[in-house]
Amino acid sequence: MRLWLACCGLVFAMSQSFAEEGQANINWLKTIAFAGHQTEYAGIFVYQYGNHLETSRITHFVEVDSEYEKIESLDGPKREIVRHHGQVWSFLNHKMVQVDSQPGRGGFPSLLPEQISALGGNYTIKDLGNGTVAGFSAQILLFQPKDNLRYTRKFWVNSDTGLLVKAEVLSDKGKVVEQYAFTQLKIGGDLDRTAIINDRASSISSLSHVKSKDANAEISNSGWVVDAIPTGFKKLTEVKRPMRGKHSPVTQMVYSDGLSAISVFIELADSDEDDDIEGLTSRGALNLYHKVVDKHLYTVVGEVPPRTVMQVLDSIRYNGS
Amino acid sequence: MKNQISALMDGELFEDEADILLDQVKRDANAHVDWAAYHLIGDVLRQPDYINSDISARVRERMQLEPTILAPRSRGLSQKVRNISLSAAASVMAFGVVAWMSAQIAPENNPQLATQKSNIRAASMKMQAQSNDYLMAHQEFSPTNDMDGGAAYIRTVAYSSEDKAQ
Repeated sequence: MRLWLACCGLVFAMSQSFAEEGQANINWLKTIAFAGHQTEYAGIFVYQYGNHLETSRITHFVEVDSEYEKIESLDGPKREIVRHHGQVWSFLNHKMVQVDSQPGRGGFPSLLPEQISALGGNYTIKDLGNGTVAGFSAQILLFQPKDNLRYTRKFWVNSDTGLLVKAEVLSDKGKVVEQYAFTQLKIGGDLDRTAIINDRASSISSLSHVKSKDANAEISNSGWVVDAIPTGFKKLTEVKRPMRGKHSPVTQMVYSDGLSAISVFIELADSDEDDDIEGLTSRGALNLYHKVVDKHLYTVVGEVPPRTVMQVLDSIRYNGS
Repeated sequence: MKNQISALMDGELFEDEADILLDQVKRDANAHVDWAAYHLIGDVLRQPDYINSDISARVRERMQLEPTILAPRSRGLSQKVRNISLSAAASVMAFGVVAWMSAQIAPENNPQLATQKSNIRAASMKMQAQSNDYLMAHQEFSPTNDMDGGAAYIRTVAYSSEDKAQ
């Protein structure tokens, strides 16, 4: 009897410590998310998927009530992304355009507490010890999904600052789908702001005319539903948003399991142009699937395997009146 | 006799007539063959999953008619020949299975498959320009923004050779 009790106690202690370890690793995620917003840094990182490799420079400053961030491509044609005050500007095809402006989204998106707690249900979280990336010591965390509808994530987190210094996305066969890593990084301290501030002033002023007045998306509930969303994915929002080259607004529903998100776009099909748009494209961990169903163009995008975006798209239906 | 067998199978004989006929069939070898043939015809007309037609006897018969080669051969060569013929047999079998499987798929499905394929190709070429907008719209809400910071956005503007082609 005493032995049995001891066994029970041991199992209980083990499960308790296991849960604590899982929680500790989940707390790392919060740290990463926090550090990503609150740390000032500048560096160069490589991004690789398939046989594609590119190098970019990133600069991130914290202001009183917001953040300023700029990413510049260092190879290929000039591309730039600027995030400031929750707005995203992109330099593509020789002009700066505002990509989105969401009402009530002054800050950057943050991990919701319920998403973080749901992570443990859908991923097995492991601590893989320590490593070094770009001269910074890092804690290595592995998030292994419990089904094959999401990718495995591996994070290298700088132990001192909580900043993510390397990340890998792996398929269910253990193949690297994409990875991103700093090759050179400076955290905090004396960073050169002048270039950025000048750049910001010039870019914003030249931009203002590009922003159209109907560019605001509104929160909506359209009656569209998705039946086969994988477990653990919670609906974050649903908006009706204008999109470039589209006559009518597009409904966007966003689901997330805490690590990945799936966006479902629904719009009236443009009979001339959209008819032959059907199929799957991938860019690293991002998969995009288009299909025209009943005069509607469905688009599903997410950092999930191809089978997941296809499964989600095939389960879209209209449940409204 | 044949007419009677047919009538018996259709249930058109009286009980005593049937008894007499069955007696005759048991004794008459030709009637046996007729009996089997009529059942086979009936089976085929009804298109069941399984048709009882024992061809093993005829196969055995034909096999016995085949000449037996007794001339000795060098062992290595015969082994090789056997391997080749075995693999040939296997591939014929595999071909048979494939042919049979493709026959199982309704023929009207095949053109559909073909058009789907071409659609997908058309899409991936055409979509580059438009897909970036969807990727951007998605990225805005993705938790990867939190994890990877702005680097997550690199996916949406990643430079690929397909983009260059446009």
